[in-house]
Amino acid sequence: MSVAASVIAVPPRPRPRPVRWGTMALYVALSLGAMAWISPVFLLLITAVKSAAEFAHSETFALPQAIHWGNFARAWEAGVRTYFVNSLVMTVVKVPVGVLIAAAAAFALSLMPMRGSRKLFGLFLVGLVVPIQMTLVPLTIMLRNLGLIDSLVGLFWLYLGFGLPFGILVLRSYMKTLPRELVEAALIDGCSWFGVFWRVVLPLSRPAIVALLIFDGIATWNEFILAQIFLRTDSMRTLPLGLVNFQTEFSTAYELLAAAQCITIAPLVVVYLFFQRHFVHGLTGSVKG
Amino acid sequence: MLQQVARAWRPTATALLFALPALAIYVTIIVYPLVYSGYLSLFEWDGVRDTRTFVGLDNYRILFNENRVFWIALKNNAIWTTVALIVPTTLGLVLALALDQRLRGRAFFRSVFYFPAILSFALTGLIFTWIYHPTLGFLNQMLEWVGAGSLQQAWLSEPSVALYAVMVAAAWHNTGLPMLLYLAGLQTIPREVLEAAQVDGASPFQRFRMVTLPLLRETTFVVLAVTFINSLKVYDIVYVMTYGGPANTTQVLGTWMYFLTYNFNRVGLGTSIAVILFGLTLIFAVPYLRRLGRNA
Repeated sequence: MSVAASVIAVPPRPRPRPVRWGTMALYVALSLGAMAWISPVFLLLITAVKSAAEFAHSETFALPQAIHWGNFARAWEAGVRTYFVNSLVMTVVKVPVGVLIAAAAAFALSLMPMRGSRKLFGLFLVGLVVPIQMTLVPLTIMLRNLGLIDSLVGLFWLYLGFGLPFGILVLRSYMKTLPRELVEAALIDGCSWFGVFWRVVLPLSRPAIVALLIFDGIATWNEFILAQIFLRTDSMRTLPLGLVNFQTEFSTAYELLAAAQCITIAPLVVVYLFFQRHFVHGLTGSVKG
Repeated sequence: MLQQVARAWRPTATALLFALPALAIYVTIIVYPLVYSGYLSLFEWDGVRDTRTFVGLDNYRILFNENRVFWIALKNNAIWTTVALIVPTTLGLVLALALDQRLRGRAFFRSVFYFPAILSFALTGLIFTWIYHPTLGFLNQMLEWVGAGSLQQAWLSEPSVALYAVMVAAAWHNTGLPMLLYLAGLQTIPREVLEAAQVDGASPFQRFRMVTLPLLRETTFVVLAVTFINSLKVYDIVYVMTYGGPANTTQVLGTWMYFLTYNFNRVGLGTSIAVILFGLTLIFAVPYLRRLGRNA
């Protein structure tokens, strides 16, 4: 690349003092951009704390005159509680199980001697690009035969399946970076393969596992299409689905809808703020392969 | 002889044991349905009765020759994909370049710009549906307030703007990932290279054109591949914001597949759309997966 750069060489000349104006302009642009970028969420927040009367009589972007917490309780009672619990149970159960299953497969594919392991890995990778629509009808037939339509248990299996390809990709590429000598040493010391997996490889893979737990947690919390197709009754609905239903039910009571949406976002914000660094580091490496 | 073979395969059998739970679930939930969908697309079936009629490729013929909405959906997917390949990706690159500088509060800015990416498409859709509301929405109220009332629209029920209104919401959501990937890509560019170019007198723009951008090729490929694959299967945000309307003008392949299959009981047609969708995905998916497999 330096060749390309030197082709366009211009005689070096003394540079003026660092351009402060440029930095200033960048700051102004970034600040304005950030304000515009976050404004939809900000609008949501200020609407969630307005009373119904105030929402009806003031501009959407007017700041609330008094903070009115009642919307959160009302939304919670009007159904958000059920959706929230469903989403929480699903996320808390599915994510660790999924990561563990993916980790076992990733371990086999990265650190164990295995014929055709590349081909098997390739098979798992295909799952990354399969449009979900391509599986819907057969899955409908399958779940119907098993009596698992409109059931969180049925949905659990689907989420497990769709989470595996990315999980295996992330964990396998991380485990590949672990020194093989550790595995060999443990085996020589009489450790079984399971022992190697459980006591050596899993603890060492912690950064990738944490990143995956967060990523998969967010994805599970947010999943819409499968929930929408396979859940029918209100008491089964997860949050994204429940919110859409809420929108039809309370069509213009936006202060209530906004409160419900804020409740949905809150756990994401908490997780995002606490684990941001793990998240970013763990993922960017693997998406790029 | 047999013993030798058995011994040679023993380690593989042990390894398979570890991969077995994942493999069993994956094959049941993804591989088998994938193949089965392809097979079902050759039948006419209402999804309810026990009898299916084999019709060969007739479902595809119907889609291409008789189904007007299929063409609308295909066109919308093309528009959607083109815009998605240009707008959020470029925005992500610009933000990454800005936020790669040594700046105070750069972590804060990164969090703000990445934030929408952690929300679901469904929620993004709900938030923007409300922003676009003809009377209660932020957009029209703001236009009125700044004296541009003549620009007011029923954003989601006006056929000429509805799709673009949805794409704005999607772009808000989809800028975070390219930004993140480009930030990671920028980390891999050695400072010395850029400094060398600077010493040679290259302007900032020249440095970007001749040094940074070529070195980001790998990242750009990943960004475009992921964007392409995701654009084709777009579903939730359209479903939530317009439900394919007004008058089917915002249908995309993903939503039209859903409506045909689950609302109109034309399962054969629906799965045929899914197959077409998958086929289109492969254009970028094949080189993308090759690269993933090779790098790994």
